[in-house]
Order: sequence, then structure tokens, then C-alpha cells
Amino acid sequence: MDCMMDDRKDVKFTRFLSDGSTCSTTPKDTSLYYPNENVDQLPSTQAPEVPWPQEPSSGDPEEAWGAGALPVGHWSGRHADKQSTLPVRELAKTIQEKRAVRDTRNRQPCSLGVWESWGPAQIIHSKRLGRWTGWEVLSSLLLWRHSLHTIESRFGVSIKAYFIFLRYLVYLNLLHSVFILAFILGPTVVYGRGSNNDFLRFDEKDSPFDFFLGTGFLERSPVFYGFYTHSSLSYPCLNTPILYFTGILTILTLSLIMLVRRMAIGYKHSWFLGKRHSVNISFKVFCGWDFTIHDPDAAALQHGFIRNDLKLNLEEQNFHLREAQRTLTQRVVLYVLRVTLNLFVLSLLGGAFTLISFVTRMSNWITIDITKFWLNLLQYLPAITMALVNLILPHIFHKISSLEDYSLATQVNVTLMRSIFLKLASLGIFLFFIFRTNRQECWENQFGREMYKLVMFDFITTICSTLLLDFPAKLLKERYPSCWLARLSGKPRFLIPFNVLNLVYNQTVLWAGVYYCPLLPFLGIVKLVTLFYFKKFKVLQCCVPEQRMFRASSSSVLFHFMLLLGLFMAAGTLGLDLMSSRTSSCGPSNGGASVLNVTGVCVDSLPRPAQKTFDYLASGAFAVPLIMAEILILTFFAILRRANRRAIDRLKNLLVMCSSDNRFLVLVLGECSATKKSDSFNLSDLPSTPTGPPNHPPNRPPIGLPKRTPDFP
Amino acid sequence: MGATASHLGKDLLSEYQELTFLTKQEILLAHKRFSELLSKEDRAHPNPRVPTEAILTLPELKSNPFRARICRVFSTSESKDGLSFEDFLDLLSAFSDSATLEIKSHYAFRIFDFDEDGTLDESDLEKLVNCLTGETDDTRLSPEEMKQLISNILEESDIDKDGTVNLSEFQHVISRSPDFVSSFKIVL
Repeated sequence: MDCMMDDRKDVKFTRFLSDGSTCSTTPKDTSLYYPNENVDQLPSTQAPEVPWPQEPSSGDPEEAWGAGALPVGHWSGRHADKQSTLPVRELAKTIQEKRAVRDTRNRQPCSLGVWESWGPAQIIHSKRLGRWTGWEVLSSLLLWRHSLHTIESRFGVSIKAYFIFLRYLVYLNLLHSVFILAFILGPTVVYGRGSNNDFLRFDEKDSPFDFFLGTGFLERSPVFYGFYTHSSLSYPCLNTPILYFTGILTILTLSLIMLVRRMAIGYKHSWFLGKRHSVNISFKVFCGWDFTIHDPDAAALQHGFIRNDLKLNLEEQNFHLREAQRTLTQRVVLYVLRVTLNLFVLSLLGGAFTLISFVTRMSNWITIDITKFWLNLLQYLPAITMALVNLILPHIFHKISSLEDYSLATQVNVTLMRSIFLKLASLGIFLFFIFRTNRQECWENQFGREMYKLVMFDFITTICSTLLLDFPAKLLKERYPSCWLARLSGKPRFLIPFNVLNLVYNQTVLWAGVYYCPLLPFLGIVKLVTLFYFKKFKVLQCCVPEQRMFRASSSSVLFHFMLLLGLFMAAGTLGLDLMSSRTSSCGPSNGGASVLNVTGVCVDSLPRPAQKTFDYLASGAFAVPLIMAEILILTFFAILRRANRRAIDRLKNLLVMCSSDNRFLVLVLGECSATKKSDSFNLSDLPSTPTGPPNHPPNRPPIGLPKRTPDFP
Repeated sequence: MGATASHLGKDLLSEYQELTFLTKQEILLAHKRFSELLSKEDRAHPNPRVPTEAILTLPELKSNPFRARICRVFSTSESKDGLSFEDFLDLLSAFSDSATLEIKSHYAFRIFDFDEDGTLDESDLEKLVNCLTGETDDTRLSPEEMKQLISNILEESDIDKDGTVNLSEFQHVISRSPDFVSSFKIVL
């Protein structure tokens, strides 16, 4: 009798647990079997397509219980096997229980010596390392772990994602610098350079401004393209131009591979299965709390984040509902409004681009008769204009997108996409005009110098804005909290999207300029490291984080996607420059030898079979089969994806079936027990199951009842 | 540190290393922090328990909205009140860097299962959401919002459509969140 009551309680508790450990709470001697008549009654048996195992498992009673009681019964048997081979520490049990499990596995408790205790610790360490691969090992070993932990514990994962992105860029530039050293600087140092030895000497004409402008002294230094002339290293296939070109090509290809890889990792997690299988809101609830947060203020903030995020999501849902209910007139008005606003955005962009091109051309018509200071300022004019445009327009875009009646997430995305378009396109226009209007001796140097100035200017503005704007504002707020100026400026927020945009822009400039100014990656490292400390100072001292929540995984996809756009733009610009057959008067390909000529000479020097191979690889006869093969592979994957999706749907249906079976069984069991309880006063009465079949033989025990129950007829 | 180490005993230390995901240094640090929480009279006890209130004063747990649940889930005492040192190690092991996703999601599920019936039903989800958004009246979601939210969650995660989220469904959701392992972490 007591046994029955226990069973009922256990059923309720272990009903839907898939974990083998909880099965141990059921009495060991409970054995179950399923009469075939009742199996026929199951909802899944009545549904035509879904298979159901006709023969009940007759092995281990515990497993039989598991298979019957769990919605994922098909797996639970394997699960139990896995449980017995898992290391003890990977069982979800208390230490006491683990100890018991271990003792039953091997009867003697082991005592570890120094070596044995050192070993497992190393295994844990190496496992921790092994989980991260490649770059992440390096990054976890080297830089800023402590700082990142501080930032994380105060502001959560979202702000940390920005700093991790920054650190990733530092490593990227470090890698670039290694390649520059190996391919460009190394050979130049070992084999020397052509005839002129006037580099690295200060003239009386040089001034400290040169450092900012990239002129004078710097122009003769290894910073720029013009420095790397032909050296004594001049085999047909191993000479300065080829090495130089290979170095840059390696950098760009490697960046592409790394970016695509990182993006694919994030993408796989976030949008792989599309909207239909999304578990977006469940994520936010189940994985919403960041347990690493210790600071009470940060915890309050996190509460706010989550609340706003959830509300935002619900609002979004309601918005879509409202959107579906719009009338025709409302729709027409809205579309007219959107078209008008888009035209306005286009005209703004057009105006910005015209301004940039005008200023760029103007800065190239510098007349001599203005003073040195104004000359310097004029040199920076294009950079200043671009910075101003990029500072003001994104905020206008933000305002415009709020008028367009998009959902909030779309608003942010639209603003971001417009801003990144503005940023990259203005850079592209700037590059184009520099490229067009240069009539100088060594135009590559000029080009590199412009890139150098852009990087420097961005660097200076960031430092100045932190030191001269954010810090004084913070001091003002601390000293005179009631001052009108302090109240006017409000609390500065750390806007992740705009900050990331800046990083992307910076990296794009570095990629676009690296061919003409090979030392840019070194400058990039210095700049990014400094930036890290300034931004850390800004975040920790001056900022409250913004209200919107950015999940680390999906935002990292967005960050890397923007970076990829930048890379394509930089590579495109470079490719255009190299393809245009402008002869240069300085640098490695001095004397009319463009990169293509040099590689041609190299191929000609090879033996005939190799030449033929290269010819074939470069011809259309190779490209067509290659493209065909790629199309085939892609089609195959597309079909595979569709089939997998169908399989997922089928499995889901199966799960629903299994679960309804379980509910049915539990119901029957409950009714049986209830009947039995009332019958316990009158043992001569037979139990009957109302949901059971009418021809149910009275002497057969109903589902789920223990066979050996003594007081059962 | 040396005194603490001798206090813990070498055999015990190696056993803990075998049974948890913690390294030697982490166990020693945990022991030190645990001893600091003990009161004078508790220290004499062979297997002392730190009451829940004292555990909750740890800065690592102080601002965690699930702190009471965490203590309850990891407590092995009859009254579910207070943690022994081994319970404390269990807690740290589950929240450590190298615990598997399986372990972490299992304990997360038990923490979120407020009524301890083995499934997350609507009332569990409501309590969970309230913990996330803040417990006070002005931080809570309105009843309509809560209803909509819970129906959204069930629609997404309740794969077998029985009206509750069970452990395997929960683990299914968690396994697709790359952020979970990095955020379900408490390190002393």
C-alpha cells in the first residue's frame, strides 16, 4: 500500500526528467511491463505514421521505468550507459553521492601523491586551454584579462564584447606586423636598398609637425612605400617587388579567412535555423542573468537591461501585430513618408560626399603663400571634414529612423547600416579623389601619407575627446551636481555601435593603406593599445552603460560583418589601384615595372610544365569547371539543409507524440491508484480504468502498476 | 595558506580534486573563504555548516537574484538550510570555468525550478522572470506582459506541448546559447 503511494509521488516527480540520476529515487524493485492491449490505446499508435516499439524492454527494471516515464525515452537507455562511463566529477550529484558512485566503481579510495595531484590539475588546465583554439589561447595568456574581468563584473558581457573586439584587432595587427617584418622589412634590412642613403637623417627643414603629417623626415623613412627600392636581392622569382606584393596579399587573405571563420562561428549559433526554430525569448530568460556580476550597481543595471529587453521584445511583437492591421491609407501615407525620408537621407549622403570631394581637391591646390600653421591645418582639412560628417550624420540618421515607424530593432539596424555606408563610402570617395588628382612624382607615397594622416587624426580626436570632454564633464558632475551645464549634458553613455563603427573604420583605413604605408599595422597596434586604456578609463570612470542590451554572440557577428565590409572595400580600392596601369617613379616597382609585370617575368623564368600549369590555372578553361563544381557543392548543401529541417520537424512531432503518450500513461496510472485506494476497503471489487478499452480483461493489471503488488487481484 | 592546507588534509584535498572540477588552488581558496564564514562555536564541530544568511553575504552571491535558490539547491541538509564545506565545493564546481555544459544546465534547471517538481511550469517561469527583472512592484512586468511573455517562452521551448518546460527541453535551449557557459560562472 505504501509502495503504491510512493510510486505515485515518484511519477509526479520524475515524470519529465531525462537525467538518469533522478531515476535512482524510484524503488529499485519496481518492475513494469506494458500489456499489448494498452499499447494499442496509445495516442501515438492511433496516429498512422509514427512508429512505436511494440515489444517493451525487458531488461533492467530501472531502464524500463526510464523508457516509459520519459518523453525522450529512446535516448535515456543510452544516457544511462553514458552515465556509467562518465568521469565521476561530471555527474550532477553531490560530493557524498559521487563518493558512493566512485566507491562502487572501484572499491578502494585512491590517495593521490604529489605527481598524481599535479597531473589532473594540468589536465584541467590543458582542457581549459584546449577549449579555446588558436588566437584565443594567445589572447587568454597575454593581454588584459584582469581589466576585462573588472569591466565584465561592472558592466556585463555586452560592453566586454566591445573590448574583446578591440583586443582581437590588436592581435590581427600584431599578425600583420609579423608578416610585414618577414616579407618587407626583413629582406630590406638584410639585403640593403638601392643607392640613396639619405634616410633617417634630420634636415634643418624638418619640423615636429612632420610626425603628424607624414612629410619631410618621415617621407624618407621606411614608413612609406617609396623607401623600398630594388635591392641586391633580384632573382626572377625572389626580389623585392614580389616579396612586397606577397606580403600584402598574405595579410589580406589571412584577414579574410580569419574574419569569415569568426563570423561563421557566431552565425552558426544565432541565425542558423532561421526564425521558425528560434528560441530567442527563451534565451533571454534562461540565459539572461550574468552570474559573473558581483557589483550591486551592476546587478541593478542588469535587472534594468533584462526588463527593457523583454519589454522591447513584447513591444516588437505587438508592433508586428499592429503592422498587420494597418489600413490601406495608413500604408500609403507611411510609404510616402518613408520614400521622402529616404530621399532626404540620400541627399544628405550626396551632400556629404560632395563636401568631402570638394575639400579633398581643395587640399591638393595648396598655395605656397599661406603661413606654415594654416598650411598644416589645411593638410588635415579632408580628415577633419570626414570626422565631422561622420560625427554629425549618424545622429541625424538616428532621429530620422525614429520617424519612419519601423520596429525598434530595425531602427537600430537601419541607423547602423546607413552610418557604416556613410563611413565607408566617404572613405572610398576620399581615396578615389586622392587617386585621381595626384600628379606628383611619387603618388604612392602621397597616398600612404593620406592614410597615415587619417589614422593619426582619428587617434588624436579620440584622445582629445576623452581628455577634454568626458573627463571634465565627469569632474563637473562630481563637484557641482546641480550645475545647469552638468544637468544639460546628462550622463554620458558608452554607445557600443558607434564605438565599434569607429574601430571598423580605423581597421579599414589600415587595410587600405598598408600597401602604401607598410608600417601602418605597427602604428595600429600602438593606437589600439592606447585606445584600450583610454576607453577603459572612459567606461570605468565616466560612463553609465546604455540601456539597450546587446548579446555578445549576435553582436560579434554584426561587428565582424562590418569589418568584413571594410576589408572588401580596402581590397577593392587596392585592386583598382594596382590594375590601373599608372607607372610609378618610386618604390619597389620602380622603372615601369608594375606588380603584374614582375609576376609575369617570374612565371617566364620557370620550366615549361610549370608555365603551362600557371597558364591553365589563369585561363577560363580552369575557371568554368571550378565554378561548376562550386555550384554543385552549394546545391548539395542547400538540399542537405532542407532535408535536415524536415527531419527536425519530424522529430519534433515524434516528441509531441511521446509526450502525449506519457500523459496518457500517467493519467491511467493515477486512475488505477485512485481506484485501488478506494478498493482497498473492499478487495473483492475489480479495478477498472474508465479510459481503458471496454473489452479490457479484468485480470490483467493496468499500465504502470508494479507486477508484484501483493494486494492486487 | 600552509596552515589551511594542513587543516584540510592531503587525502581529502586529492579526493576533492578527483570529485570536482576545481584545481588545488581553488579548493584551498574555497576552504579559506569557507572558514572565514564560520562562527567560533561552529569551528569545533567536525562537519560544520554555514547558515544560509552567512553564505549570502559573500560578495560573489550578494547581488545575485538567485542566491537563495542556489543555496537551497546545493544544500544537503534535511531542512535545506546552510551549506557544509562539501556543498560549498559542489556549488563552486558547478559554477567553475571547466564544468561541462551538461552540469551547468542541470543545476541551472534546478535553480529555476522554484517548486521543485521537476518541470518549469507557468508559476516557475513567472518567478524566474520576476527574479530577472527585479522583485519590487515598479520593476515587475505587468500581468498582461507576463502572460504574453510566458506564452512566448512556452511556444518556443515547450517542444512536446505539455504546457511545461522539462530538463531536456531546457538543455536544448541552453545548448544553443554560446553565452551560457561564460555567464553561468561564479569564481571566488
